[in-house]
Amino acid sequence: MKTFSVLLRRNMRLFFRDKGMFFTSLITPAILLVLYVTFLGDVYRDSFVMNLPAALPVPEKLLDGLVAGQLISSILAVSCVTVAFCSNFLMVQDKALGTATDLRVSPVRASTLSVAYYVSTLAVTLIICFCAAGLCFGYAAVAGWYLSLADTVRLLCDVVLLVLFGTALSSVINFFLSSQGQISAVGTIVSSGYGFICGAYMPISSFGEGLQKVISFLPGTYGTALVRTHAMQGAVAELHSLGLPETETEQIMLAMDMRIRFFGNTVPEPVMYLILGGVTAVLILVYVLLNKLKKR
Amino acid sequence: MTNMIDICGLCKSYGDVQAVRDLTFSVREGELFAFLGENGAGKSTTINIICTALAKDSGTVTVCGADIDREAERVRKAIGVVYQGSRLDGPLSVWDNLESRAALYGITGAEFRARVAELAERLDFQELLRRPLRKLSGGQRRRIDIARALLHRPRLLILDEPTTGLDPQTRKLLWQVVEDLRREEGLTVFLTTHYMEEAAQADSVIILDRGSIAAQGTPLELKNAWTGDHITLYNVSAGEVARLGLPAEELRDAFRITVPNTAAATELILAHPEIFRDYEIIKGCMDDVFLNVTGRNLEGGEGK
Repeated sequence: MKTFSVLLRRNMRLFFRDKGMFFTSLITPAILLVLYVTFLGDVYRDSFVMNLPAALPVPEKLLDGLVAGQLISSILAVSCVTVAFCSNFLMVQDKALGTATDLRVSPVRASTLSVAYYVSTLAVTLIICFCAAGLCFGYAAVAGWYLSLADTVRLLCDVVLLVLFGTALSSVINFFLSSQGQISAVGTIVSSGYGFICGAYMPISSFGEGLQKVISFLPGTYGTALVRTHAMQGAVAELHSLGLPETETEQIMLAMDMRIRFFGNTVPEPVMYLILGGVTAVLILVYVLLNKLKKR
Repeated sequence: MTNMIDICGLCKSYGDVQAVRDLTFSVREGELFAFLGENGAGKSTTINIICTALAKDSGTVTVCGADIDREAERVRKAIGVVYQGSRLDGPLSVWDNLESRAALYGITGAEFRARVAELAERLDFQELLRRPLRKLSGGQRRRIDIARALLHRPRLLILDEPTTGLDPQTRKLLWQVVEDLRREEGLTVFLTTHYMEEAAQADSVIILDRGSIAAQGTPLELKNAWTGDHITLYNVSAGEVARLGLPAEELRDAFRITVPNTAAATELILAHPEIFRDYEIIKGCMDDVFLNVTGRNLEGGEGK
């Protein structure tokens, strides 16, 4: 256990000593928020206005709250995974610099080394994502706060679960990489592509039916749906209480990916947790096994 | 005396390239063993296999009585490795680096502090403990690499070109520490080096050429087998030297003649005492041995 904690400390120190890496990771969600608000805020707002019944008296604050919910859920859903990829560079860097050989010619278990990489990346990603969540909550509080205490706690739990998932996914992928160029390439691909395939940039409901079916097989989809549900359901409930009919409320929830359909059936929230948690557990197992079975 | 390393029929290929071909040799406990060869001769491959960092294709390797395949953990506990380049973490302090590496061997807390203090005194790096590794000079960093390799008191120290690029002072310190450890703790040292004067101090030498053993023995055996004796003649004229009937190299104020061995030198001197008034006989050096064995320079190319 002492070996593990010393290794963990080493990995985290190496991350935080690299000020460029730390601040880049930290500032990315903040930049995303500014870009979203600047370029997509009005688009989202207009879309809500167009799709709500004209007769329904929707206060400006509520509209802002809906937009804020959509924006912060998108940022958090993307950041939890992309930041994990960004933070999980040490495993590859150790290989590239030959440090991994130095570690592996000692009697330490391969599983101890691999779990230390996983946990340190997890801790660093959590720190950054909680900072991002704080920033997002600040923005929502200014724009229009409709999150209940329970939703706020659930949202933070979603962040933890998504970070666990993102760290496990990046660990499995990074296991096969051995140079800093490769990790940069993978980071770039994930940063640019993940937001689309998890439904963060564009709701999945706006895609074609075939694509929707394909995306419904990806676990990240359910992570985004959970974050979006907990970020927006307070504001949507407020709409309902103002007189929005049940069917139209349901339609908004479908359009916003708060409800995900898997071959025509709505996936309940506990099942979404089960899918994301299960996939994360499998990925962690695969990662540990890969390290254990790794040929010298 | 028991063997610290036993290698039998070791082979390793990378695709079509055979890096190590049927190597068989032993290293005895407590000896300084030098492993020589050009770049690409298979030295690092052999070292990586001994360290359990690389899988072999065939053959058996036993380190400290433990088979590297079946008892890798025992092997890893017994060896310390100093690589060609530092494998430590540049951004971290010397203390943090040593702490993280010591933990790999279960050395933590007071035991770690005591061991670091001991090594810092032996290798003279007390004042460097809090400094980031990347800010140290090459020589200072080398001392930390050696400390890292010695943290767990290994029985076998593997030095892969440890003194390349070091200043003479650090080289001297390094060899002093190694000698002290050999004397005090019976440490076995497996060395690869490009400096032949270091190889000349070894108890046993193997010269590797294209993955195979080209020559082995003590430095004296190798010199006797692979080099001649050099006789330097002073205060003689070119005509006198020509009477010897042997090719001679003209130096600034002397002539040098190379004969096959000391017996031939003695015979020559006794046959021409009037010419050998002022002279010296020197055995061939390890550089000559290496060049002759690898067949790149002397006596018709492809070795004897």
